[in-house]
Amino acid sequence: MPSEGADRIAVLQGTLDLIVLRTLQTMGPQHAYAIATRLLQLSGDLLHLNQGTLYPALVRLEQQGRIKGSWGTTESKREAKFYAITKAGQKALADETLRWRRMSGLVEKLLSEGA
Amino acid sequence: MRRFLAKLLNLFRGPRAERELAREIDSHLALLAEDFERRGLSPDEARLAARRAYGGVEQAKELHREARSFIRIEQLFQDVRYGGRNLLRTPGFTAVAVVTLALGIGATTAIFSVVNAVLLRPLAYRDSDRLVTLLHYGTGPVGTANYIDWRDQSRSFEAMGGADYWSPNLTNSDPPEHLYGLKVTQNMLPLLGVQPLLGRLFAPGEDLPGAEHEVILSYRLWQRHFNAARDVLGKPVTLDGESYTIVGVMPPTFKFAPFWATHTELWVPDAFGAGIHDRGGNHLRVFARLKTGVTLQQARAEIAAITGRLERQYPATNRGVAVTPLKQNVVGNIETPLLMLLGAVGFVLLITCANVAHMLLARTSDRQKEIAVRIAIGAGRARVVAQFLTENLLLAAMGAAAGLLLAFAGTKALVALSPAYIPRVDMVGIDTHVVLFLLSITVLTALAFGLAPAMRAAAGNLSAALKEGGRGDSDGVRRNRLRSFLVASEFALAFMLLIGAGLMIRSFSALQSVDPGFNPHNVLSMVVSVAGTKEAEPYRRKIFYRELLEKIRGLPGVISVGGINHLPLAGDQWDRGFVIEGRPQPRPGEGPGAVYRIVMPGYFETMRLPLRRGRAIADRDEARAPAVVVINERAAHAYWPGEDPIGKRIAIGGGEQSGPPNWLTVIGVVADAKQMDWAQEPDPEVYLAALQHRDFLGESGDPIAPHMTYITLVARTSGNPADLASDIKRAVWSFDRNLPVSAVLTMERVVADATAQPRFEVLLLGVFAAIALLLAAVGIYGVMNYAVSRRTREIGIRMSLGASRTAVLRMVVQQAAVQALAGSVAGLVGALLLGRLMANMLYGVRPTDPVTFGAVAMVLALAALFATYVPARKASRIEPMVALRNE
Repeated sequence: MPSEGADRIAVLQGTLDLIVLRTLQTMGPQHAYAIATRLLQLSGDLLHLNQGTLYPALVRLEQQGRIKGSWGTTESKREAKFYAITKAGQKALADETLRWRRMSGLVEKLLSEGA
Repeated sequence: MRRFLAKLLNLFRGPRAERELAREIDSHLALLAEDFERRGLSPDEARLAARRAYGGVEQAKELHREARSFIRIEQLFQDVRYGGRNLLRTPGFTAVAVVTLALGIGATTAIFSVVNAVLLRPLAYRDSDRLVTLLHYGTGPVGTANYIDWRDQSRSFEAMGGADYWSPNLTNSDPPEHLYGLKVTQNMLPLLGVQPLLGRLFAPGEDLPGAEHEVILSYRLWQRHFNAARDVLGKPVTLDGESYTIVGVMPPTFKFAPFWATHTELWVPDAFGAGIHDRGGNHLRVFARLKTGVTLQQARAEIAAITGRLERQYPATNRGVAVTPLKQNVVGNIETPLLMLLGAVGFVLLITCANVAHMLLARTSDRQKEIAVRIAIGAGRARVVAQFLTENLLLAAMGAAAGLLLAFAGTKALVALSPAYIPRVDMVGIDTHVVLFLLSITVLTALAFGLAPAMRAAAGNLSAALKEGGRGDSDGVRRNRLRSFLVASEFALAFMLLIGAGLMIRSFSALQSVDPGFNPHNVLSMVVSVAGTKEAEPYRRKIFYRELLEKIRGLPGVISVGGINHLPLAGDQWDRGFVIEGRPQPRPGEGPGAVYRIVMPGYFETMRLPLRRGRAIADRDEARAPAVVVINERAAHAYWPGEDPIGKRIAIGGGEQSGPPNWLTVIGVVADAKQMDWAQEPDPEVYLAALQHRDFLGESGDPIAPHMTYITLVARTSGNPADLASDIKRAVWSFDRNLPVSAVLTMERVVADATAQPRFEVLLLGVFAAIALLLAAVGIYGVMNYAVSRRTREIGIRMSLGASRTAVLRMVVQQAAVQALAGSVAGLVGALLLGRLMANMLYGVRPTDPVTFGAVAMVLALAALFATYVPARKASRIEPMVALRNE
């Protein structure tokens, strides 16, 4: 099992797809390991993705046609499966981003009003 | 949608997707290791570190698979294959479990198929739940004039029709046949909503006097007598000497009436005739269809109002008229016994479940290590439970398949064994309802016996199970408790079943020892019907009856012979009111009454019905002699308490009749004989002399006379009475080849039929109780045997520390005794509660019968002792050294 850090952030249901799509959009085609590493760095070691979480998300996104995987080689000449965002993925990302912004705005508003 | 397709596709692309996945994980691990190398680890260390950082490879794969496709289905296939292999690996266990389950599921399904056909299926009429009967106290016939008033005054019914019993002779055919038929009002058949197979139903006006000469045939009669000829319509048939025209044939499934006169094979219009003004002579059964939107309560209220009004107008009539749903008339009597049998067989099923459950528990204990390995390499606990449940379902399905075969055979046997009294029993079979029932009890059974063991299996402690010697010395307390609970509940269920069966057996033997009043051994009876033959002619009939009896008396092997209108237990029964000479006129409907029979000389002697005082009816009691009557003891006590009834005079019908009363002098008192119902105490009864009875001899124009066109002969024989049947028939036909002879029965058979229902119930309950006892014994044996083998080492230690063999024996027996006792106490309480439900099915025994309870407790204690004896002996023979070395 991956180490269970006390400050580990649990990925909110449904946001993992958004995060993965966004990562692929900004970084271009990436393999699963790179995605996991990138997210770990970005979150300051707080978002430690369980492989068991990331793989199902990738499978799901691929089946939805939002990303496409193809085999390639890394800089270190290792073989790896690279995932790239598709057109449908771009559109989905835009929609999801909008929805997320609205949602988080709403939550933020509620929280500040309550205070 | 797209995902759905992808998932569906992946069901078939499993292997390729698996390879892809392995490749991707490998690459991931390689990249991870590379990172670690960059941080300065050696390649080997890096690889290990990567592995550790990555986490459970198999678990990740499993999650990936779940996202990839319909994992449940894939897993199901996998589980079925795996479960099948597992079951095949232990054929002994599987066979015992399947046989046990087949017994439980099969028996339950067989009984359910009867319940389904008899109780649940709607009657075969259109909207049959709208059909009701209007009968005296829900069962008795009513007067014709009353029916006409109800029909004309009520608003709650779409239609109301009536039917009257009629059994004519079919004479222009060979052989002549005494048939069962009904006279029905014109609207009776149409209101049932069943279309004829051929021809038509009766048309309006066809039940008017003089026009009533059409007949509708049942499918069976059409097949039997008319060779299913389609041109039968319009042809004449001779019934009771009169010509009728066939206008219709009903479909094979059509039966009417459904609860009385169930052997009916033809219908003719009922013109009522002189009976149309009859309020006292009750012989019409009334059926009606509720109007849409009218509830049963509304109809009841309306009929109550109408009959209340009529009662004031015509005192002593219209009392106790009940509106009853037709279905209740049909199944009312059989509902409780059938539901009791279903409950009993449900108990057997529960015991089956408990048995299989602890077989499985024992098995899961042995498989603890296998389960731990599966969890360790990535199976979720839910997945383990699912796997176990699949295996159990597989087991239950095998049991159900075997059970279905058993149910097929059992249903056939049930129908063959079932006495004629069960309505609609010919409809019993395996239909979709039964199959659905079978499927649902299979699933429920699998859950009932499998859920606890499966949960238990998945809840085990991994590392403990994996350790060497994981077969612990003693089981966890909780598992032991579950096992004890199962054994105790088996005993509780078996206790209740045995009490039920025991009470029925006691009740049945009480019924068997009932004295019918007469001696049924070596007596043959048969009905000879004169209607429509030349013997029916007035003044001819008396001579015929006399000569017939004379001729039969002369046959070799015949000791004595007699005749009666309605044979007790088998025949019809009429009740008549009468007045006693010199007593004040009773208020209408409140005078004395009695069961009314007409006998030929020799009847009492032949039946060996003892004469208590006075004399029996003899040859000299004929038309010119003073009219006489013999009464039973009950009548003597009821109407002449402390007096001698001999010489007193009564008049049948009493106040109803016009003209001077026809006085009958009481000449004798005979013992009480059983009447309609074996379990009931006889009512007052009067026997009139046939040879001075003008209606019985066809010498009066009374409307009752057409109902008296037959005689039941009884002959006492020196040998087997059945052997004389053909001789007696030949004697009858020597007078007239056209005389139909029917209902040829030995009196022993008549008595056996009268107790057929309790015999059937006692047989089935007995079988169920025996199965339950066997299963409970097997259960406690299994549990104790298992416990002993698990505790071999512990017992070995005890013995090496000085415990004697007797002490070990006592310990094991004690453990079993506690479980059996706890179960029996629970069963005792249950049986006391359930016994109350059985109270009105019992005869001569109370539901708390101490003999039954004592016997059942003894039987169960013995069964428990036997079942425990083998394991206990095994335990006491354990060699301490061997036991300690073994483990």
